[in-house]
Amino acid sequence: MTSLSLNNVKKHFGRTEVIRGVDLSVDDGEFVVFVGPSGCGKSTLLRMISGLEDISSGVLKIGNRVVNETPPARRGVAMVFQSYALYPHLNVRDNMGFGLKVRKVPIDERARRVMEAARTLKLEPLLDRFPRELSGGQRQRVAIGRAIVGDPEVFLFDEPLSNLDAELRVHMRSEIASLHKRLGSTMIYVTHDQIEAMTLADKIVVLRDGLVEQVGTPRELYERPGNLFVAQFIGSPKMNILPVGSVAKALPVRPDSAAHVGMRPEDLKLTDPGSGLVSGKVLLSEYTGASSLLHVELPDGEIFLVAYDGPTIDADTTLGLTIAPDRLHFFDSAGQRAS
Amino acid sequence: MTASLTRRRIRIINQICWTLALCIVAIPFVFPFLWMVSSGFKSAAEIFGSPSLVPREWQWQNFIDVFKHQPFARQYLNSLYIAVTVTALTLLVSSLAGYALARMRFAGAALVALFLVSALMVPEEVTIIPNFFMMRWAGLVDTHWPLILLPTFGPQGIMATFLMRQYFLALPKELEDAGKMDGLSRLGVWWSIALPMSRPALAAVAIITFLNSWNLFLEPLIFVSSLDKFTLPLALSNFTDPYGMPLWHLQLAATSLAVIPILVVYIIAQRQIIESFALSGVKG
Amino acid sequence: MAGALPIRDTARREDAPWLTLKMREAMESWLFISPTLAGFLIFFVGPLIAVVWYSLTEWNLLTQQATFVGLDNYSDALFRNPDFWHVIRNSVIFAIGLVPLNMALALSLALALSGRFAGVVIFRTVFFAPVVTSAVAWAIVWKFLLQGEAGFINQMLASIGIDGPNWLREPNWAMAAVIVTRVIKMVGLNMILYIAALQAIPRDYAAAARLEGASGWQIFRWIIWPLLGPTTLVIMVITTIGSFKVFDHIYQMTGGGPENGTLVLAFYIYQQGFQFFDVGYASALAMIMFVVVMMLTIFQLVLRRRDT
Ligand SMILES: Nc1ncnc2c1ncn2[C@@H]1O[C@H](COP(=O)(O)OP(=O)(O)OP(=O)(O)O)[C@@H](O)[C@H]1O
Ligand SMILES: [Mg+2]
Repeated sequence: MTSLSLNNVKKHFGRTEVIRGVDLSVDDGEFVVFVGPSGCGKSTLLRMISGLEDISSGVLKIGNRVVNETPPARRGVAMVFQSYALYPHLNVRDNMGFGLKVRKVPIDERARRVMEAARTLKLEPLLDRFPRELSGGQRQRVAIGRAIVGDPEVFLFDEPLSNLDAELRVHMRSEIASLHKRLGSTMIYVTHDQIEAMTLADKIVVLRDGLVEQVGTPRELYERPGNLFVAQFIGSPKMNILPVGSVAKALPVRPDSAAHVGMRPEDLKLTDPGSGLVSGKVLLSEYTGASSLLHVELPDGEIFLVAYDGPTIDADTTLGLTIAPDRLHFFDSAGQRAS
Repeated sequence: MTASLTRRRIRIINQICWTLALCIVAIPFVFPFLWMVSSGFKSAAEIFGSPSLVPREWQWQNFIDVFKHQPFARQYLNSLYIAVTVTALTLLVSSLAGYALARMRFAGAALVALFLVSALMVPEEVTIIPNFFMMRWAGLVDTHWPLILLPTFGPQGIMATFLMRQYFLALPKELEDAGKMDGLSRLGVWWSIALPMSRPALAAVAIITFLNSWNLFLEPLIFVSSLDKFTLPLALSNFTDPYGMPLWHLQLAATSLAVIPILVVYIIAQRQIIESFALSGVKG
Repeated sequence: MAGALPIRDTARREDAPWLTLKMREAMESWLFISPTLAGFLIFFVGPLIAVVWYSLTEWNLLTQQATFVGLDNYSDALFRNPDFWHVIRNSVIFAIGLVPLNMALALSLALALSGRFAGVVIFRTVFFAPVVTSAVAWAIVWKFLLQGEAGFINQMLASIGIDGPNWLREPNWAMAAVIVTRVIKMVGLNMILYIAALQAIPRDYAAAARLEGASGWQIFRWIIWPLLGPTTLVIMVITTIGSFKVFDHIYQMTGGGPENGTLVLAFYIYQQGFQFFDVGYASALAMIMFVVVMMLTIFQLVLRRRDT
């Protein structure tokens, strides 16, 4: 069942169009992640869904209601903010119960729901503290608790973990995943962090300049990126792209329309110089612990990134690179996937 | 060792010199207050007789006569309730408008802001004549309405509006968004989120507005004519004998009564008060 | 969650479903600013238009009728009435006397008090105290101190053998007295603005200059003073405009006298409008004041823009 759908949704601030026609449908209970370069409109799109930003044109449905002109609190959505946005003058209990109070939920029902959410998030010992007395991770949990209490149909997260340190981020990530499993609610989540996107998402939406580039499962996006932009945006280090012409001789099979060929650094294997698909000279070898990242300069001056796991390779070594044929990605001259 | 000792000594001497110099400069700032109070306690005869700071005979009677000469208690109360009213109204009106200008999107917002700013450039003296005729037409001359309405909506109030706007702009916006998600109306966000976080700005507006109203002179002079409607500044200049010559001992006693409570509050809260003026001055 | 439904239901009911979000926002905005805007129109825009009209009319006290006289009031002021130029001269002298004195004193005090040493707070409190005091009270006390023979100042002067003038009865001395007492009253305000500006200057600048061997005066001249430029400009314009508006102080201390020696523009407007009831002429004067203040403000804005 569809929980939320956008139909040719647009947004402009004054004369600049920021969201330029987005179509999207989200199923009930799905975990959808928006990714894209900074300024592409992720937050704006999320805020349009929440009602904090009005929709210039198009149709937004939640459930089967058109909610374009419905005030935020009446859409059945809850939002978790990047800065947590906890009310500094209220303690945790009142922060979590504030929305219910505004909606005139009876006091005992309110207390019951706050307790229930606090139990879910292990916040019980903190209920009487004020936000300034909490750590970053605890504040984050309170912010999520506040969202849970209102029992929304859709949760919206705008980079909720970006203010936490790396370790806590990994931890909160798994908490959010298990929360999603437990509540079974629809969640829409904006992030800059690829790992977050890949691990959490049922479905990733790649945005660029206010347009959807591709929608798909993490695996689809990684294994069959729909175009050059997505190919290079998903995956780290990013995919190497060459014009097909420069390696035409060595390529086994390829679609007729192919203009570019892409190879992920982690798919490339080292061989003897001259024997692989391309050859080049090692410029730099970055040791990252688990493996090394080689910067290889091809004869025409292009730099290839190669993830390599083995004995140290000195700079200036010449070597060849090869790849399994099914790991090649072909794109036509318009940048679209060719197959 | 000795070098650092002499350097320390130089610094201490330096310090003493500076302090002394500042004390001398401070004389014309402090002495008028002292002289005012001391003269307020002198008799009409002594007041010009002795240049002594301590009265020969403490004339407590002066402070009683002040209330007999004119309805001074009533006038005192007038000043107080007018200042409180103007302050409350200004806080309300300026924080509402300041919030709209800072946070809300509507066609014409920029134009409205520009219009309002232009009012800051125009002294009250320019518009006081038509305002007088308007008040007369509305039957509000010799009432306190002009003394409440003109400062609230005049340059004072607009100044306060921009001070509030500036402050609201610097508040974290996500907190207000959270309020909206929680179901607060605009008014609710303003009241229960924006205002509680704006205490410093509200305090600054309150302090400056109160003092301005308390010290207002031109408007009372023009709009008020009955003795029992006078405000303090007007009343102070009214301690004269039948020939219009000042009754200095009474006038200075009354002036002391008007000034000292303000000074006491000022000394207690000097930090907050000075900061308020700094805050508004930077904007102006 | 089982008990959830009722909340979802209340959360979904809308108060006014026909309103778009944009309309809601616009409506609420106008409600928020409407008190200020209404006040602005009634007490500012209306009167400003009216004063232009008044300045073009002659008001007849007996019939309470206004007759249109064109620019007569302006030409009266500018060409016929010698008082006008006398008043302008007084206002200019007042400003020229007050502004530099005020600013120099304010800056000196700020420099002395921007550091941290024992007593800073006390001195700041002292120098700022007259600012919160009513101008009328301040003027009353100084008028008392500056009495002819029996005033405290002259008695002090007499005790060291100086025969002080009758300060407030001689035009030039009266002007000087008004300027100086006004400076003492208001200098605290500029002082704290300067202190705020000084404290905003990073200490590293002066420290770096000192390492390069600059003297205190050089640091002030070449680092502090240029950095204070914008503040100085703002203070200068605010103080100049303030000096053109001064009324209560002069009303109380000299009443514009002696021999109109301290009759300044704001006082002159009051006198013409509310003592002589020459509404048309007073309105023309108000317009002139408006233009002067406007020009000063625009001058400041232009300078400020050029700076950035
Ligand atoms: N209130 C606004 N007025 C005008 N332009 C805006 C406004 N809010 C956002 N924009 C513009 O809209 C575009 C999209 O902004 P948005 O915040 O949605 O980007 P984002 O994808 O969330 O970026 P980031 O990853 O940096 O958070 C940006 O170019 C931004 O400058
Ligand atoms: Mg964003």
